[in-house]
Amino acid sequence: MNGRRAGAISLRILQQFRHDRRTLMLLFVAPIILLGLFYFLTGGGSSLPAVDVVNLDRGPLGAVLAADLGQSTEISVTRTTPSRAAGDLSADTVAAYVVLPPDLSARALSGDVIAPTIHLEGTQPALTQPVLLALDQSVTRASRSLAATEGVRVPVLEPSLDYLHGGPGLDTLDYFGGAFIGLIVFLLVFVVTIIAFLRERSQGTLERLMASPLRRADIVVGYIGGFMVVAAVQAAEVVVFTLYALHVHNQGDVALIVLLTLLMTLVAVNLGIFLSMFATTEFQAVQFIPLAIVPQVLLSGIVFPVATEPGWLQVVSRLLPLTYGVDGLRDVMLKGNGLTSGPLLVDIAVVVAFAVALIGAATATLRRSAS
Amino acid sequence: MTTQPVAVSVDGLTKAFGSIRALDGVSLTVGAGEIYGLLGPNGAGKTTLIRSLVGLVTADAGTVTVLGRRLPDRAVLADVGYMPQAPALYADLTVEENVRFFASVHDLDRHAGAQSAVDALEFVDLSSRRHSVVATLSGGMRQRVSLACALVHRPRLLLLDEPTVGVDPQLRAELWQRFTTMSGEGTTIIVSSHVMDEAERCGRLGLVRFGRMLAEGTSAELRRLAGVERLEDAFLVLSESSS
Repeated sequence: MNGRRAGAISLRILQQFRHDRRTLMLLFVAPIILLGLFYFLTGGGSSLPAVDVVNLDRGPLGAVLAADLGQSTEISVTRTTPSRAAGDLSADTVAAYVVLPPDLSARALSGDVIAPTIHLEGTQPALTQPVLLALDQSVTRASRSLAATEGVRVPVLEPSLDYLHGGPGLDTLDYFGGAFIGLIVFLLVFVVTIIAFLRERSQGTLERLMASPLRRADIVVGYIGGFMVVAAVQAAEVVVFTLYALHVHNQGDVALIVLLTLLMTLVAVNLGIFLSMFATTEFQAVQFIPLAIVPQVLLSGIVFPVATEPGWLQVVSRLLPLTYGVDGLRDVMLKGNGLTSGPLLVDIAVVVAFAVALIGAATATLRRSAS
Repeated sequence: MTTQPVAVSVDGLTKAFGSIRALDGVSLTVGAGEIYGLLGPNGAGKTTLIRSLVGLVTADAGTVTVLGRRLPDRAVLADVGYMPQAPALYADLTVEENVRFFASVHDLDRHAGAQSAVDALEFVDLSSRRHSVVATLSGGMRQRVSLACALVHRPRLLLLDEPTVGVDPQLRAELWQRFTTMSGEGTTIIVSSHVMDEAERCGRLGLVRFGRMLAEGTSAELRRLAGVERLEDAFLVLSESSS
């Protein structure tokens, strides 16, 4: 080894960094953004899952328990009636509702197990745990506070779980399978298009196309056509593999899964063309993965439910196409929703709107790149 | 200036990139069927001038008229062939696939495109390599594929930005013979170069420096103007006297 020669290489690398501000930005700014996101997503300043509580108890424990749940640091509680609560759950405005049965106090006094019913939405396993934890903590606190006056001992809590969708028969793969179909297809097609389009720019053929009678829309539509043929095959492969080889639970129409997957591809192709304008080398294009893709993965509700994000972060999530694709795929596969379902139609409409907006943006990008 | 109909007319073209004036009030007229050579050192503005003839450069001031159409005009580009300085090709496609792609992009249908591709590859002497993937070709061969892509649709106006860089002298001579034939058949050719023996083959020459047109004329006229024997010296003399 020769110190001076090795040193020349080190110095050259530092000089290259000095000329490549964007890479420096990535190295120093991206960790802060990504770790910050993790902080907010895993609890720091998160929103609490919304839970309705219905108190039917004829004795004193139900009221005290419901009041204590209202103070919970795990969930955000609204007290309501059984029919309202069921409506909230099916409209997806709450993660769960807890029914405190009429015999709650009576069973607690007689030392019996108590069995409130927890009605869970069921498609987001991450939302189940906080509800169980909050109930457990509140039962202990509420019965202790009544111990002196009413003689209640801390009862054994055996809540019965009722799932609106999914249920205990589903495993982790079933919950994440649908979301992952959307994510994988989106990610792969995005990376392939951004690289392909960047090569078109860097090898000079885009300029050549611009010097031909081709219109910008011809180029964008041509790219969409070419990539969609491959994407259609990929979508079919991914869906068949997921459903028939991995046996991921599917409640809905397979054609809708393929449709949503293809729409995600359409968004990914145009996002790739659009973002390729902001990169000059394939190296820079790869840098878009941590900056444009990882936050999207974190914020799309695949692992961390959008509902438990801090309010401002929910706004960001609602601006990302992947959020709607994932939501739509879950609607179909876990809830069995079809084209008559309002929420699913909204998801599809939003993804289509993103695709159209990005086609426009990709076309406009070409205009600016031809100096 | 010429008795032939006008193919290209540029008037007062100005373009700045930041603080650099790439073109500074350039005017020129090229008649149909002419071979017009743009001469000048690197960075003189030749490439910017050629790119502005296919609408790749939006001028700050001045007008460009190509084949009777004032730019920007996308439709007229179907009759124009442009060969950029670096061979801009799809390296992962074969020679023939590249040429046929550019034929379709210029509105040739499948059948006409296939026939034209055969002719274009014949023209650049690459018929035997038509199934080779471009990435496997030498620099000079890629240059020839690029030329084939530029003329496959038989354009009425051919713009060549240093077309013979990396091409060996024998093939260069053959290509120029063919350019002369094309010009005889009515194709207008505008070619940039800094190779003086190529310049001798052009009908007329324009000396470009610092984004300005220093002098125009046939090789003989330029040499007479500068009072020297060789075109290379004329170029140096005329550059000196204007700066």
